[in-house]
Amino acid sequence: MTDHRPLRGPATDKAARRTGAVRISGLSKRYAMGGKAMTVLDDINLSIRPGEFVSIVGPSGCGKSTLLRLIVGLDTDYDGEIRLDDTRVAGTGLERGLVFQDHRLFPWMTVAKNVEVALLNQKLPRDRRERVISEHLALVGLSDFGDAYPHQLSGGMAQRAAIARALANEPKVLALDEPLGALDALTRVKVQAELQRIWMEAGTTMIMVTHDVDEALFLGDRVVVMSPRPGRIARIVDVDLPHPRDRASPLLHRLKDEILAELTREPREDDGTLVTFPGRPRG
Amino acid sequence: MPMPSRGPAPSRLPAMAIRIAPIAGILILWEIAALSGIWPRQVLVPLEQVGATLLALASDGELARHLSASLYRLASGFLVGSVIGVSTGAAMALSRNVHRLLWPTFSCVRQVPVIAFIPLLILFFDVEDSFKIVVVAMASFFPSALATHDAVRDIPESHREVARLYRMPTAPFLVRLILPATVPQVLTGLRLGLTRGWLSLVAAELLAADSGLGQMMEMGRQLFQIDVVLAGVFVTGLIGFLLDNSMVRVERHLSRWRTA
Repeated sequence: MTDHRPLRGPATDKAARRTGAVRISGLSKRYAMGGKAMTVLDDINLSIRPGEFVSIVGPSGCGKSTLLRLIVGLDTDYDGEIRLDDTRVAGTGLERGLVFQDHRLFPWMTVAKNVEVALLNQKLPRDRRERVISEHLALVGLSDFGDAYPHQLSGGMAQRAAIARALANEPKVLALDEPLGALDALTRVKVQAELQRIWMEAGTTMIMVTHDVDEALFLGDRVVVMSPRPGRIARIVDVDLPHPRDRASPLLHRLKDEILAELTREPREDDGTLVTFPGRPRG
Repeated sequence: MPMPSRGPAPSRLPAMAIRIAPIAGILILWEIAALSGIWPRQVLVPLEQVGATLLALASDGELARHLSASLYRLASGFLVGSVIGVSTGAAMALSRNVHRLLWPTFSCVRQVPVIAFIPLLILFFDVEDSFKIVVVAMASFFPSALATHDAVRDIPESHREVARLYRMPTAPFLVRLILPATVPQVLTGLRLGLTRGWLSLVAAELLAADSGLGQMMEMGRQLFQIDVVLAGVFVTGLIGFLLDNSMVRVERHLSRWRTA
């Protein structure tokens, strides 16, 4: 198949995104644990197109959250290279955002003030700042909740507020670390649809870590399947289906079976076989 | 948001009675002991005489004179001590170098009761106001500094990461994150500092002063007017109670976001 970009909303076409490409090459990350070096990520190579939605799935301990922390620059101690549009990543920057699993809104601030936190590094005139805030609250469907405090919001609303904050300074890349992990199943499905819409409207490159294969497939243009200890990319699955997507699509179900097989196959082979052949072709 | 009222209204009266019961009990026992004549009346003064003395002191302006002298010293000392305390505590928590420089000294000096410095301070400062202001400042400095230090240290890493992620500049970082996140704990420290300041002030006035509640009590002791001493005790306790209570109110008001 030719590489046709998935269908997008009008906002993206206008932006005609050329920026927001992430290139990760030869990335390794080691921790010292009790004097012993632990390899968390081993030789990760991944190229993400501008405006692409990439999902990352994998068992606990495969270093997927660490990967996001490295991309946004909260952790700068690694080997290899992460580049955003040809600039090497060094430390945090407003062009790279992150949504955490817990919403991490400041409890003493209203939702609007929380969104404003993202804008404090830029010298914006007050009226422009207000407009950016209200636009992003509208984007996540929280226009009426700007004056609410985080504890007055439901879990889904708080996470949407966190997404609004993360998008407020229009990052080129948004990393999402199990953003919907703490939500109940029903809310989760709703916010997934929201997230799809937001991504289509904002046109930001998104990299989402999740435990949920359905979620990964529903949202991702590609799904990166990782294997643990050390964290490696086991497989990259293309999801060749335009957005917005239908959950009932047979393709999603077929791919889900494949990915689940990949995820469950890995440990048995690693533990059971003493000798593995790198580069051995896979069935 | 309105705070939920504690319990239904009808129980207010018995609740109040329960709160007053211990002090009422002490007063009754005191009165009985005073009337029993075990101790001479000059030593264990009956309540009504203490009350009369208190009224007399209040009506001829004597009490007001002493009280205003004490409160002036408390206010100035507390202001100086808490401002320096909060900034020192914050600086020690935010800067590793400041911490290295000050923390060991701070931890040692903190263990010495302020009253132990009084003989020394009398030599360095004017015996009237400035010496006592310094005593109050020192007494309120330590609890405020310690509470602020701990509060800033206790700010969760998750909050700090959000600040790093959005590259919050220093001023908003302090005003919008550090300050509100630490308000509840810092206020508790300030409250403790105010109490310590008040206690140390009265103690200092007992030792050396021309005016002030402590001096009034000391004069009473020297003239063997135990009723004046006891009147001073009452007022000291009452003022301390009112100060602490108002701090609790401020604390509760500014920590509203915690009642999630």
